[in-house]
Amino acid sequence: MLFSSVPFLFYFAVATALAYFLVALLTPRHMLPRNAVLLLSSLFFYGWGEPKYLALMVFSILAFYGYGLAISFSKSKKVKKLWLILSVVTGVALLGVFKYADFFVSSFNAATGLAVPLLHLALPIGISFYTFQCMSYVVDVYRGQVEAQKNPISFGAYVSFFPQLIAGPIVRYVDIAQELKERSTHASDLYLGLRRFLTGLAKKVLLANQFGELTALFRASGEKSLVFYWVYAIAFTLHIYFDFSGYSDMAIGLGRIFGFRFPENFNYPYLSKSVTEFWRRWHMTLGGWFRDYVYIPLGGNRVGKFRWVLNILAVWMLTGLWHGAAWNFVLWGLLFAALLLLEKWVPALQKLPKVLRHGYVLLAVVLSFVLFNANDMAQAGQDFAGLFGLAGLPLLSTQTVYYLQSYLVLFILGFVGATPLPRMLEQKLPEKVRAVLEPAGLIVLLLLCSGYLVDGSYNPFLYFRF
Amino acid sequence: MKENRKYLLGAAAVLVVWLGLALFAWFGPKQEVSVSERRKLDQMPALTAENVLSGSFMTDFESYSLDQFPLRDQFRQLKALFHYYCLGQKDNNGIYIAGGYAAKVEYPLDEKSVNYAVSRFQNVYDTYLKDSGSKIYVTMAPDKGFYLAQANGYPAMDYAAMEEKITSGLPWASYVDVTPYLSGTDYYRTDTHWRQERLLPAAGALCRALGVPEPKEGDYTPTAVEKPFYGVYYGQAALPMEPETIYYLQSDLLRDCTVFNYENNKKTQVYDLDKLDSRDLYDVFLSGAAALLTIENPNADTDRELIVFRDSFGSSMVPLLVQGYKTVTVVDIRYLMSSYLGNFIDFHGQDVLFLYSSLILNSSSTLK
Repeated sequence: MLFSSVPFLFYFAVATALAYFLVALLTPRHMLPRNAVLLLSSLFFYGWGEPKYLALMVFSILAFYGYGLAISFSKSKKVKKLWLILSVVTGVALLGVFKYADFFVSSFNAATGLAVPLLHLALPIGISFYTFQCMSYVVDVYRGQVEAQKNPISFGAYVSFFPQLIAGPIVRYVDIAQELKERSTHASDLYLGLRRFLTGLAKKVLLANQFGELTALFRASGEKSLVFYWVYAIAFTLHIYFDFSGYSDMAIGLGRIFGFRFPENFNYPYLSKSVTEFWRRWHMTLGGWFRDYVYIPLGGNRVGKFRWVLNILAVWMLTGLWHGAAWNFVLWGLLFAALLLLEKWVPALQKLPKVLRHGYVLLAVVLSFVLFNANDMAQAGQDFAGLFGLAGLPLLSTQTVYYLQSYLVLFILGFVGATPLPRMLEQKLPEKVRAVLEPAGLIVLLLLCSGYLVDGSYNPFLYFRF
Repeated sequence: MKENRKYLLGAAAVLVVWLGLALFAWFGPKQEVSVSERRKLDQMPALTAENVLSGSFMTDFESYSLDQFPLRDQFRQLKALFHYYCLGQKDNNGIYIAGGYAAKVEYPLDEKSVNYAVSRFQNVYDTYLKDSGSKIYVTMAPDKGFYLAQANGYPAMDYAAMEEKITSGLPWASYVDVTPYLSGTDYYRTDTHWRQERLLPAAGALCRALGVPEPKEGDYTPTAVEKPFYGVYYGQAALPMEPETIYYLQSDLLRDCTVFNYENNKKTQVYDLDKLDSRDLYDVFLSGAAALLTIENPNADTDRELIVFRDSFGSSMVPLLVQGYKTVTVVDIRYLMSSYLGNFIDFHGQDVLFLYSSLILNSSSTLK
């Protein structure tokens, strides 16, 4: 079930909120009934999209709940470590079987000429997100950073919590452990949560989907041109930002309505003036996860230069693979590794004028997303040939001009919307005006998004299957 | 305290609208059909273990929730207005409005599709017409975009290339160009089709080529259909447009003609007024979509016969060709395999006209 769908907005979310706040009203001193409502509704939410994988979700909850308890109750350091290793193996095995098996087998087949049969398993929704959350929970318990959760209902509510279940942000247990025990929703949480959710919904429905439609039109076009390739590349760059950050906004907003404070996931990444900065602003919870659970345990930068380079390459290859089981994702990750190393080794880059640094980051990001969005390496090659005038295409075509005209306003909105400018302009309004205009604007956004959802069926989330 | 009140009022305002819509969606009256889209609306799917486990319940529920959304048409219109006028999109769902006329962005020319259509016509010729002694004609009914697209800054299909493909691909047929006899205003504002009451010049061009008397304006009485006509683009565009009036050109000659439909073995009139209760009022012309019809003209002062291979554009054009023939056979090879034609039609030198719209020629996979 997508957040930006009528069943979610007008059936599931409303029913869940009513049940949650009714239970909260009836049992104001106890958190467990509220956690139970969240667990049940989250399982329903998950089962709605993947009934057959509900068992996998329940298995993950029970297995990692068990590992946490086992580590907590073990006296010996060795035994604790054994449970930790077992939990990591479980997590990696789940991802290995359900996400990466066919990628590895087909790569093996391609390299050896053998024909090992593929598993052809459908990718369980959100498996990368909830498996990472489970693994980080057990590691944190092992490190003594957090106590193991004794109650399986509360732990299940954490793992399966629907706002961040299928597309993040990656919420670590340590971030919300206290809120699972004690939380409340004040008027400010309710309003600011609604505001965040509806802003995210509008980013997804009114911007991301429209840019997505343009990229689909480009793919379907038989009349490509050099300019059309660049229009496509920029449209996809805006599409993925508004899609993913919109989803994160919705998740953070929903979390807040239910009394949780989720970590931020985006901070205007397209304003970055270095790739290093970009990754501090883009999908921040994933970057943090890899830093704390892979990069630092590997030694981080407190090792020899060669080993450090290897660490960087390993982390970024894994980051690429996390996004998808295909070679273009691996290359995508390695491209960023190369750029990060370049920035570390050539400090002069940081002394270039701001405009040039900004331009370099945007160009790198746009090109990286072309690689990211290619179905395979062959298509990536075609796309790059098209972008750099090596495909024998004309500069412009009738279709290019038409779509440029048609999407001009959207591009302007996209460029402005990717900066803090709208928020800054709103802050300049007098407080009394804002108190009226803001809710009115949110209502308008809700109605407009509803109109788009009712009218069209084009609505897939990009990060739905990561 | 003041801050808290502000948040409370803001949240309440948003929630009233949100909850209101949700409650209306849950408990509001359910609709059976969408008039503007000419289709039945989905109803609540059956909740069974099998449906749930297969996931079909969820898919069907999504369709149901969209179809039964409160004020659905108004929400679609809100989206269309925002999309078209605020976001400056040049089309909505592929439909644009130019000078009050809704038209589809029909671009680019699909050469494969035109070639396929030509190959289907060639097959008919090889199988039935080659040795029949028939005089064969072909014409392309231009879609509205022919007149509106380029003039209003929309991508225009290469109609000249389409015409060239037809003329070079069908050397055994004489091409009749009707495009000079039409303009954008000769089409319905909300529909794909041309208006019959504006077709006399184009019909005259066809009759001249066929060598039969031209239809004269004085021979016909434009008769209005009382019900408002919402064309196919009305629903697709979802933009505010006024309904139209369909006129059909009635005459004593046409009133005396009988139309035999081979699919249901029924005899009707050229203008089937029973179809005024159907979803598409354009079906008043020759009863709408039909695989094979024969029109008998008892007042004909000739024995000449005509076979028209056509699509829906032909439904309103064919009645204007009838006066020159004793019998007109109307075939739609989208609904009847051309290999079966011999079972129904005796090809013995009748005049033959292929009349297909540029829309069908550019998307011809349905031709059999």
